[in-house]
Parts: sequence; structure tokens; C-alpha cells
Amino acid sequence: MIPAIQLTGLTYAYPDGTAALREVRLTVAPGECVGLLGPNGSGKSTLLRHLNGILPERFPEAGGAVAIQGEVVAAGNLGVIRRQVGLMFQDADDQLFCATVREDVAFGPQQLGLGPDEVAARVQHALEEVGLVHLGHRPPHHLSSGEKRRACLAGLLACAPSILVLDEPTSGLDPRGRRELIALLRSVRATKLIATHDLELVVELCPRAVILDGGRIIADGPTAALLDDEPLMLAHGLERPHILQHRHPHEVKPETRSTKSEAPAPASERAR
Amino acid sequence: MTVLTPPSFASGDPRANRAVLCWPAAAKMAGALVLIAGTAVVPAGWKLWFAGVALLLGVVWALGRLPPGPVLRRLLALSPFVAGVALAAAWSPGGVLDWKITALRSGLCLATVILLAQATPFAEMLAVMRRVHVPALLVTTIALMHRYLFVLADEAERMRRARASRTFTTGRRFAWWAAATVVGQLFVRATERAERVYDAMCARGWR
Amino acid sequence: MHIPDGFLDAKTALATGALSVAGLGYALREVRRELPPRRVPLLGLAAAFLFAAQMVNFPVMGGTSGHLVGGALVAVLLGPAAAVVVVATVLIVQCFLFADGGVMALGANLFNMGLTATVGGYAVYRGVARLLPGLRGRVAALAFAGWCSTIIAAAACAGQLAWSGTVAWRVGFPAMVGVHALIGLGEGAVSALVLLAIARTRPDLLPDQPGIAATPGRVGPFVVFGLLVTVGIALFVAPFACPWPDGLESVATRLGFNHPVSSPLLPALAADYQLPGITSPGLATALAGATGALVVFLLAIGFSRLVVPREGPALKTEN
Repeated sequence: MIPAIQLTGLTYAYPDGTAALREVRLTVAPGECVGLLGPNGSGKSTLLRHLNGILPERFPEAGGAVAIQGEVVAAGNLGVIRRQVGLMFQDADDQLFCATVREDVAFGPQQLGLGPDEVAARVQHALEEVGLVHLGHRPPHHLSSGEKRRACLAGLLACAPSILVLDEPTSGLDPRGRRELIALLRSVRATKLIATHDLELVVELCPRAVILDGGRIIADGPTAALLDDEPLMLAHGLERPHILQHRHPHEVKPETRSTKSEAPAPASERAR
Repeated sequence: MTVLTPPSFASGDPRANRAVLCWPAAAKMAGALVLIAGTAVVPAGWKLWFAGVALLLGVVWALGRLPPGPVLRRLLALSPFVAGVALAAAWSPGGVLDWKITALRSGLCLATVILLAQATPFAEMLAVMRRVHVPALLVTTIALMHRYLFVLADEAERMRRARASRTFTTGRRFAWWAAATVVGQLFVRATERAERVYDAMCARGWR
Repeated sequence: MHIPDGFLDAKTALATGALSVAGLGYALREVRRELPPRRVPLLGLAAAFLFAAQMVNFPVMGGTSGHLVGGALVAVLLGPAAAVVVVATVLIVQCFLFADGGVMALGANLFNMGLTATVGGYAVYRGVARLLPGLRGRVAALAFAGWCSTIIAAAACAGQLAWSGTVAWRVGFPAMVGVHALIGLGEGAVSALVLLAIARTRPDLLPDQPGIAATPGRVGPFVVFGLLVTVGIALFVAPFACPWPDGLESVATRLGFNHPVSSPLLPALAADYQLPGITSPGLATALAGATGALVVFLLAIGFSRLVVPREGPALKTEN
């Protein structure tokens, strides 16, 4: 089976020379939902930007280290790659750059070259999926942060990507906005890679978690096991989420604490 | 000084139900242009024209149930130009009648533009501009400016407040340097945001 | 300096409109040609920046405060063609969305603030920066350029008002230029301080400007913009700034829009600029202007020395 995302020894340094990513190896299967964790400055955002070809600034001549659906990301196929990978940036304001929500959601389909009817249909469908039809005519600066995030997601969904990559989707949201977004993400069908500090979100949505620190993958495994490993979490600027400290009806049984290698089947993974 | 409140629009209301607001933007813009052009150049003696325009504006305002506040405020805040011309009229030949007519023209045109802005969402104005083949680069620039001017204005205000909270000296010299650093920082942030917007546009397929 | 509607007559509106459209069109072409795609959103963001920056208060005295206009500053930061587009965008949005500046007067406002102030200021900056080295030189150059841009725009504005018959030249010119000679000092100072602030935190954002070792930029833009500005000056300023004593009245009468002379209500406030020993008022005005400019130039250099610390042992004698 062709992996949705495959990183084979991705290494990247910023223009000023600071190393950002070192020999990152990661494979994400189609349909998986993976949480990417790590302290600030670990390289999460940098890694995500490699997935749709925003980075590196200049692609190497001889094959790159990033493959999407089996195709190596290179300067020549960015259009194809970006059709498959929907990247949601950290700052919603950067992404909502059109005059109204509808226009913004329509941007992607228009760039794909679809006809006006198809574009309108996709916009309507995307707005319905995120529950923002009633706000379609509003300018983005009239939206709350939660609504802005959902509008960004609608803009991505309108392009029907097979892979969704999200950078801190719940940061800055109030509890209601957060809950709405999590529910939305749960319902979306796509391969998902979510970089976040929101540990509870990872426990809820992602059966698998990856820890990045200093540009290197430190750990990669079942979420409950990884996040329950307190020394590991603390060593890399994280912590054991409260959700695992109490018996959560949807998650971990207490026995898992001593059997790190065993992967419990979280009840939240509902087959669709 | 500019009035920095984005022209508010009936929140959530499908505009199809509101008079004036549902009129096609192109018609509103063209109409406003005709009114303004006419008011600006008709001879001073055409009192009927001025009366007619004022009446028309009033009717449209009432129909659309638009807030009169912004217009009245702007009219009351006498433009330096009007004041200057009034002064000049007091000192130089030409008589006092002239400056009153000038003020009237200016006021009517001002009211027309404000009415247009209140009755037309900016997105629609942009669409009209695209249709009349205003260069794409200019329309994009105007669109992006409008989109981000509130964002940057907020950032400027936050920086100013943060600065003010940490300022214990009151010297004018210091205040100028503080204000200059706010402006400088604003430019830096604008540049960085522009890069991110570019990345976001590319991420969704823009070339 | 946003001229409202009703102050300019049809011919002035048309003439300024034509010049502005030509200038803006050319600037757009230049930008499309020279600006990498990566920087396209920067135009819009820079316009938003300029708008927001114009709201920042620079306290003057009492409760009043000054504000940056920023044409010369943006020209230094982004280049003249991009600056024309940016300032034009700001003026257009201000006109239609905030009723700041008339719709019929948009052409004039674009010509004054978008073309003349921006490109003129940039030309002055380039010229002066060539003479004065280092960061101090750039700061002084921008301080002076900011003042010049304000003055030139004010003169053009006065000319347009006179050409429309709204305010006679002999009242409008001294009033506009006099007031803006003071305002321009603030504009220059603030522009220079902002440049300094950016140079301190993100020097990489400042474009590579020619210092002493001047690499000439493309001449084309200067020629085209210069031509447009010159035509405008010829239309709006030259007929009035005639060197001959009665030239003002005679030209006005010949062109047919002189007001009937009745005795003024109050004695004339604006006397012609006179320097002792010089009889021709026109020449006196020119000399007074030149002296004023020189004074401001020296002030700009002094200002730069005040705000920029000494840069190194290589600094030779000033002036």
C-alpha cells in the first residue's frame, strides 16, 4: 500500500544556517490520523511546510525526501501535490485573504480550474460541512476565531484533498470553538496529520502520536502509550495530559501504564 | 481624520429583503458617480440641482434605514479645506457666497460617498471594479489592503497600548521614538504576514 | 492634504485624472515587470500598513498630534513604482470607504500624494543619499526627502486650486506651502525615525540603496514619472509662479478666471516674499524657497547626527 505521506531522512536548515530538521523519518498510511507533538521550536511547523512544497526554498536536483501518495515532492509537481495536501496554517487571518467567506472558500476550486457551477456547488457543500452557510457573505474580520478556523477548513475541504495537515488548529479557541472544531475534524474523512500542543485533542482524535524535538523524531507510537509515559513527555517539553490520569470512558484502561508496547484499541476510533 | 468603523452590514440578514442594500452594486456606484460629478461641476446658480440631490439622498437613506450618524459627524467636523477657503474668501476678492457654495458641494458629495459605502459591501465594489477591467494587480492590492487594514490597525493599537503601559517618562522626544518603533514594527509584521499570505495562497494553488 | 469634492473644476479634475491614470498605469506595469510573485501580497499589506501607520499619534503640543503620511518612506522601503501603487491604493480606499478626499478630486489627490510626493521624495532621497554616507546619510536623506515631498505636493495642490479658480494663487500658495513647510518637518522627522527603527531591528528589510558607490537603477521609471510630474507642474504651478511682477494677474485674466476685484474685507495677509535688496518678487520667492530648503537640509543632517550614534572611526568632517 502506498503511504499517504512518507519522509525519508528529511533534513532542513534555515537560510541563516540553523538546523531545523534532522533525518526525519515518518510514514503515514492512508486514512490514519496522527498527532505531531513537540515543544516550541522543535520544527513542527517547518516539517508541515515541507508536505506541500512551501519548503524547501530550492528543491534538490536528485530526489527529495518527501513523498505524497508515492510521488516525490519537487518543483515540477507542486500543483498536483497541493491538490492532494490541504495545509491549514496556524494564523487563520493569513489564510482568509478574500473579501468574504464564500469568496475565500471558492478560491481553491477556482484555482483548480473548475467551472462556476462546480465551484458554487463545492462552496455550498463545504460551508454546510463546517456549519457556516449563514456567514458566507460576511467579511472575515467579522468572524470569531472559532468561525475563522472553520472557514479555513471549509476552504481546504472545497478542494477535496486526500490529506489534511493542520498546524495548531485549536490554539486560541474558546472551549466551545474548540469542541466544535474537534467534532468537525473527527467527521472529516481524510488522512490527517495534526501538529498541536493540545494533548487532549491528540488523545481524542489520533490513535497514533509522534514526538518531535530538536528537529528529530523522538518517539512514534500509539497515543495512549506515548502520552502516558510521563518521563518521556517531560523530557521533551510536554506533559502527561490530565485526560489520561483519570479513567476516561473512551480511552485507556489502567493496565496500559505498564505495557507500553501494547496498543489498546481506543473506543474513539470509530470505523466509518 | 478618517472614521475607522468598517461599514457595517445587516448581520446575517439575507440582503434580498432590504431595500437599497439589494440594489446592484454597479448601479449604485454609477449613480453615485453621476451625482458627485454633477454636484461638483454644475454652475453655482443651479439651486434646483443641489436641492434635488439632497432630497434624493434623504429618500435613499430613509428607504435603506441606514444610520445617519457618520454623515452628520463628518459634516460637522469642518474640513480644513472648507475652513481655509472660508478664510481666503474673507481676505481676497470673490465674495463670501463662493465659499458657501463650495461647502455645499463638498457636503453633498461627502454624503453621497458615505451613503454609497454604507449601502454597498466592499466585496461587491471590488467585483464591479474587476468587471470594468481595472488592472488585476490593482484590484488585488486594494482587496488585500481592505482585508488586512483592520488586522493591522488592531496590531498597531495593541502595540501602542503595550508601549504606553511600560512608559513612565512623558517626554515628547521619547513619545516620538516610541511611536516610530511602533510604526517600524508594524512594517516588519506586515512584511512577515505578506510572506505567510503568499504561502497560504500558494498552498491553495495560486500561481 | 486630501482635497474634497467641490474645490476643483471640471478641467482640473480631468487633467489631474489623466495624469494620475497614466502614472498609476505605468507604475503597475513596472511593478508587474520587476516585482517577484512572492512580493505581490506585500503591496496590499504595505497599503494596509500605511493606513494603520497614519493613525499612530505623534504628539506635537497641547492636545494636537501629527501623523505620518509616508509617501517618501514607502518609496524608500519598496521602490518608487511599488510605492505609487501602494499610496494610490490607500488613497482610493480612503476616498470610497472613508470619504477622505473627494471622488472627483481623486485624480488630483493621486497626482499630489501618489505621484509627486512619492516619486519626488524618492528622487530627493536618492540624490542626497548619494552624497551622505552610511546610516546617518540615509536618515538625513529621508528626513529631507520627507519635507520636500510634502512641500511639492502642497505646491501642486495650491496650483490646482488656483487653476480651478477656487483659491487665488497668491493666497493659496503661501498658505499651503507655509503650513506644509512646518508639517513637512514633522513628516521628515517621523519618516526618518521609522527608517531608523526598521534599520535597527530588521536591516535585511531595507532595500539595497546606493550609497557613495552608486549603482544606477533603471532610468526608465524616473523619466516617465518625471515627465508626468513636470507636465502637472507646468499646468498647475508654472502659470502662477511667474517671475514678472504682474504676471499673476495678467495670466489669470488671459485665461479668463480671475475674480472681479473688489476691495478685500481685510488687508492682505500674505505679502509677497521679499528679501531686502531684491526687487523682483518672483526672484525673491525663488530665493526664499531655496534658502528655506537649504535650512531644512542642514536641519536634516543635524537631526541624523542627533538620532544615529557615531558609526565608526572612518567618519570624516561633516558637511
